[in-house]
Amino acid sequence: MNNRLLGVIDATTYHKGLDELTLHRSLAAVPFAGRYRLIDFILSNMVNSGIESVAIFPKYQYRSLMDHLGSGKNWDLDRKRDGLFFFPSPMIDSSNSGIGSFNHFVANIDYFYRSSQDYALIANCYTVCNIDFSPVLQRHIQSGCDITSIQQLNQPLEMYLVKKDLLIDMIQTRRQTGYTCISDIMADIHQPYTICHYEYKGEAVTIDSVQSYFQASMELLTPDVWRNLFLRDFPIYTKVKDEPPTRYLNGCEVKNSIVANGCQIEGKVENSIIARGVKVGKNTIVRNCVIMQKCEIQEGCVLDSVILDKDVKVEEGTYLTCTQSVPFVVKKGSIQGALMNS
Amino acid sequence: MANKKCVAMLLAGGKGSRLNSLTKELAKPAVPFGGKYRIIDFTLSNCTNSGIDTVGVLTQYQPLILNSYIGIGSAWDLDRRNGGVTVLPPYSESSEVKWYTGTASAIYQNINYLEQHNPEYVLILSGDHIYKMNYDLMLDYHISKGADATISVIEVPWHETNRFGIMNTSLDMRIEDFEEKPEQAKNNLASMGIYIFKWSVLNEFLQKDNQNKDSSHDFGKDIIPEMLKLNKKLYAYPFNGYWKDVGTVQSLWEANMDLLDENCELNLFDQDWRIYSVNPNHPPQYISPQAKVKQSLVNEGCTIEGEVIKSVLFQGVAIDKGSVIKESVVMPNTRIGKNVILEKVIVPSNIVIPDGTVIKERKETSEVLLITPESICHFA
Repeated sequence: MNNRLLGVIDATTYHKGLDELTLHRSLAAVPFAGRYRLIDFILSNMVNSGIESVAIFPKYQYRSLMDHLGSGKNWDLDRKRDGLFFFPSPMIDSSNSGIGSFNHFVANIDYFYRSSQDYALIANCYTVCNIDFSPVLQRHIQSGCDITSIQQLNQPLEMYLVKKDLLIDMIQTRRQTGYTCISDIMADIHQPYTICHYEYKGEAVTIDSVQSYFQASMELLTPDVWRNLFLRDFPIYTKVKDEPPTRYLNGCEVKNSIVANGCQIEGKVENSIIARGVKVGKNTIVRNCVIMQKCEIQEGCVLDSVILDKDVKVEEGTYLTCTQSVPFVVKKGSIQGALMNS
Repeated sequence: MANKKCVAMLLAGGKGSRLNSLTKELAKPAVPFGGKYRIIDFTLSNCTNSGIDTVGVLTQYQPLILNSYIGIGSAWDLDRRNGGVTVLPPYSESSEVKWYTGTASAIYQNINYLEQHNPEYVLILSGDHIYKMNYDLMLDYHISKGADATISVIEVPWHETNRFGIMNTSLDMRIEDFEEKPEQAKNNLASMGIYIFKWSVLNEFLQKDNQNKDSSHDFGKDIIPEMLKLNKKLYAYPFNGYWKDVGTVQSLWEANMDLLDENCELNLFDQDWRIYSVNPNHPPQYISPQAKVKQSLVNEGCTIEGEVIKSVLFQGVAIDKGSVIKESVVMPNTRIGKNVILEKVIVPSNIVIPDGTVIKERKETSEVLLITPESICHFA
């Protein structure tokens, strides 16, 4: 029954609060949990729920997103029939709208017409969760509602399930109705549709600012959160890299941390998320940090409450300490030297 | 289809019986190694890094896991339209099934495959060794020498020469004589089981060897001596670097421990010569607040709440509180309970070590112990 569901991921969102991490990449491609990108969660959820056709609508800086997704092979979406579709927005300047922008959909309306699936699931790209959509569809069909909105504790998670024909109708009549997206409909108390809510009980975090990004990263260190997110039978897929196992050298001290493959650790790491291929030098202390891919932290550094974007080099003897309430973001590819401290 | 310059034939049918229970349901090339890899990853990665894009993998013993692991070769970038990896199992011809009885007969039975690609040169490899080698440089050497066959050799300690096939060479490295496991060796250059042949010459000798009823159909025992007898041009190609036959439990353990040495010649972190493998999808490793990890290699999907010293942990290994793992190799998805002490052991895949199990250094022997699902209950 799940092949009756289309997956639609709206990757056009831009959050001003995440500027520092989204200058060079789309929000969907923001690295998270050491080896993933934000889109991996929703995309894997869809695949694990049996969805075989997924359309992604990106808009800003989507080079890294395309590079990450490739043919969709890592999500088993490189299919002859259905699979992964990529529909970049033709409208560069159009203003930011809510989730499920009809203006973006209309440019690729053929995808909706040609698909054989009866229902569509429209979701955002920045919610970190592990959710099975099959019971949502079941409930949607039983209830006979027009729109089922997935929510948690009465807060919408911005994932909507609608009949495909109704979605096409909404897209085609957008000028007459004035609704630019599904969220518009949800926000209008006079809207003509019947709406149901589906309460999701698992772990769900919305990433919309550096603050929430940092907080969500630190929460991964809680074993319960970790276990709920990375279920064995419902794995989160990502682009695989051929990194060797992580090497813990003599003199290293690692505590309460999540570490991806290909790292070489000689220093002290505590309460941190370390992504693939990171080097931590001798006598260096990394505490409460999120360190992204391929960063190199040389000897004798102290880092506290810092987010290092990809490819950052921290030179010998550098001190970068902040507070957890105001984490500091070091931009991708930059070099931090000891002399810059003063 | 364009002819290939060089096609590799990878012998992966080895039973590896000295690896005991590790190879009970697994061909030796598929045995896990280095926290993430299987032994065959090294040879396949060498092929792809050397620019060899056509590899026939000859399987025979316990091929299920090995075959599905190789798949269409995409992990090593060997899923090619023209060439790529092809698994070559023994097959039946008219009425009788022809098992691969020797290394040469295995190649002989796949002459069809080689004729299909019609290469100038054939590279014969074995899937049993851990090393990094650029076969392209060896091929250049083979061509520059105008050789009929080139055999890769490595210097071994003199006291170990009786374990290897030893090449006696002239000053320009031409092979004059070959001795299988000699008592009194005249040289210490051992064959690494890597051969490059001119395809036309190899074809001729394979046909002839197949007619010979007394032959054991082996490269080292039959083909090479026969070529030497007929004065063919055979050269030794000296290799410097890490090379290990992980044929025994002890050597498998040693090779894993070698990786923990910071000065080890086998660098897994070299971006220019990556070792590719099938990447299982696991979350990053979690190191708990109580955990201690030192001088170890740890793969994705591990959860460490105990102490890990000088050990190699494969994907999906869980080590519970109060446990100490020292100088050991723990294979994929094995769970180690609470307050377990393991020293100098190899723990196989997918088993559970019960709480309180203690296996410490055995006084009577310095040998490494291979745990089996059956033996573990004696220690618990």
